[in-house]
Amino acid sequence: MTREMLTGNAAAAWGVRLAEVDYVPAYPITPQTEIIETLAKWISDGVLDAGFVTVDSEHSMITAAGAASATGVRVFTATSSQGLLYGFEMLYSVAGWRVPLVMVNVSRGLSSPITLEPDHNDILAARDSGFLQIHCETCQEVLDSILMAYRLAEDERILLPVLVNMDGFHLSFTREPVEIPEIELVRKFLPAYHSKHAFFKATQPMAQGVAVLGGHAYSYFKYQMHLASIKSLEVYKEVSDEFKEVFGRSYNTIEGYMLDNAEYVLVMTNSFSTLGKEAVKKARVKGIKAGLLRIRLIRPFPDMDIVKALNGKKAVAVLDQNISVGKGGIVYSEIASALYNERENPLLLSFVGGLGGKNINPGEFEFVFDSMIKAVDTGKIPAPQLLYTETEWKEMENLKKIAGKQTTVIKTASV
Amino acid sequence: MLRLRFHGRGGQGAKVASRVLGTAAFFEGYYAQDFPLYGAERRGAPIAAFTRISREPILERGVIAEPDIVIVMDETLLDDPMAHPLSGLRESGIVFINTTHNPVEAKTRYKVTAQIITLDITKIGLDMLGKPVLSALAGGVASRIAGLKGDTLKKAVEKEVSEITTEREIILKNMEASLYCFNAIQLMEIKITEAAYKGSPIFTMPFEAAVISSPTINTTTNTTMRKTGNWRVFKPVWDYDICTKCMTCFVRCPDGCIAINEDGFPYTDYDNCKGCMICAEECPVKAIERVREVHAW
Repeated sequence: MTREMLTGNAAAAWGVRLAEVDYVPAYPITPQTEIIETLAKWISDGVLDAGFVTVDSEHSMITAAGAASATGVRVFTATSSQGLLYGFEMLYSVAGWRVPLVMVNVSRGLSSPITLEPDHNDILAARDSGFLQIHCETCQEVLDSILMAYRLAEDERILLPVLVNMDGFHLSFTREPVEIPEIELVRKFLPAYHSKHAFFKATQPMAQGVAVLGGHAYSYFKYQMHLASIKSLEVYKEVSDEFKEVFGRSYNTIEGYMLDNAEYVLVMTNSFSTLGKEAVKKARVKGIKAGLLRIRLIRPFPDMDIVKALNGKKAVAVLDQNISVGKGGIVYSEIASALYNERENPLLLSFVGGLGGKNINPGEFEFVFDSMIKAVDTGKIPAPQLLYTETEWKEMENLKKIAGKQTTVIKTASV
Repeated sequence: MLRLRFHGRGGQGAKVASRVLGTAAFFEGYYAQDFPLYGAERRGAPIAAFTRISREPILERGVIAEPDIVIVMDETLLDDPMAHPLSGLRESGIVFINTTHNPVEAKTRYKVTAQIITLDITKIGLDMLGKPVLSALAGGVASRIAGLKGDTLKKAVEKEVSEITTEREIILKNMEASLYCFNAIQLMEIKITEAAYKGSPIFTMPFEAAVISSPTINTTTNTTMRKTGNWRVFKPVWDYDICTKCMTCFVRCPDGCIAINEDGFPYTDYDNCKGCMICAEECPVKAIERVREVHAW
């Protein structure tokens, strides 16, 4: 085992190298490109024995990746944002083929207006596709999750592709100490893939991804995907237990931070959960019984784990770094549906923040905790709130002036 | 926790400087985190990079609003309305400026309230590496100010420069130049205070019609107002006694900066000339001299 300073992208590349993949079809996009560049270099240097091909688009890339996966080899690819959307049609197709592709998405806000910095509208757009989704907070978690992803995807009870997600910039380009495990341990945890249902053998022809007409056949195949995804909750626990046994690190479907005796809980995903943890620590110093719940497995959605974790809490605030235009925070809706039929529900508040990589300041976290306390005191739940500061609005007003637009008067929100 | 922010221009080495420091701190057993921030990758565009060093696990990510130490690798950024290198720097903090001027002059000129250190690392780069690549040098300066050791710095430079080149001579020169900068800096005391920046109050965004709220710009272009030549390291200076008015420089300038005066001699627009020195390279009679910019105010 060695310990090194690695970016999220380099950690992803290490995960792929240790998984000893056979084939990598690639197409570049910021902030993901460093992953495929690193893999291309290793393949060219001969330290990774895999096929590498650059293709004409993400649509072709995901097609090539899924098709290669259907021949029974271990495949990896990566994309981000517009690239994921460009290949979107093939996400559903590949999931329907029931092949164990593992793909990394490096989150980046969607156009337009175009940006390079992260939020989660890209990855969450793919939540209904059939891919399992693991969302990471640290660079170490990126490396480890790729190894776990292959175990899950290749498990005969699942056979669904997996997307591993990390934030652009805040993880993809951020270096922190990462343990690179020994290859022998990885081989013990993740043995070579021998496909029993989808492979290429000249003497044994098969037709894959067949057409069906008449809804009963379609319903059967689609619902089986859903059942496999739900089944993976059970398999996930086996895989994470084994991961802990081999590597000593453990990752549950959700992560609680100072959660056990907490009354006011912040729910977050991905790398900014780190900022949420710092905010929880600060709130505790002020005497607020704060805690954080990070959702790591987004598909399948771990309803039961979440219900158990939030049971008996006074208030829960979901901080979505995404927006379903015309509805609001996506994770908020998912948590609400998980909790709705429970008897002792906490008050549930919705916040949207950090869109397009906007920083979430300590003052914004304080606002969230204050809002929860006030909601409990008054029994009144505030309307969903965008975390946006007066200074940011003033800067926007200035930009509008430069762009030749009218400007508006300031009104501050109070708790 | 010690928070450092590097300001440089694309191609100067701010990102690698932040990595040299991060790796050096990591080698000394600290928790470290480094992170660059840039838009579309473009040479000469302002970039920032950040390094956090701590005895405890780091529960922060992204930009550093209130640095303890600021490393200004390009002096011209201090006058750039978008870069704001000194923003958030505490009075108890330290700013390093890469300049030909001494600390007292620079402190007055740039209205610095924090402690200030200056050193012309561009000259050190030119003398010791043969070009103004500042990554290992700024990394050396930052490691010294952060109180790290020379030995770990050398190891860190070796590791980081090896990621970029396999040429042993270049790696060794960078190690040497980095240590030279490290030793040229006087140790100063830093008082680390915990971050107090919380951001301003939350604002409830009102509805605005698309005529305002769509990402469109209704005004005419203002690109010409932005002077893009202030960050060059060398400027071309013509000797009209030698110049034959052959116009080769006029044709070869990749930026269209060279024009012809009333007497038929070429001259350049110093507001926008990037100092690529292709004109001097191409001049058949060598009438164009490379003159080091020192940003005399």
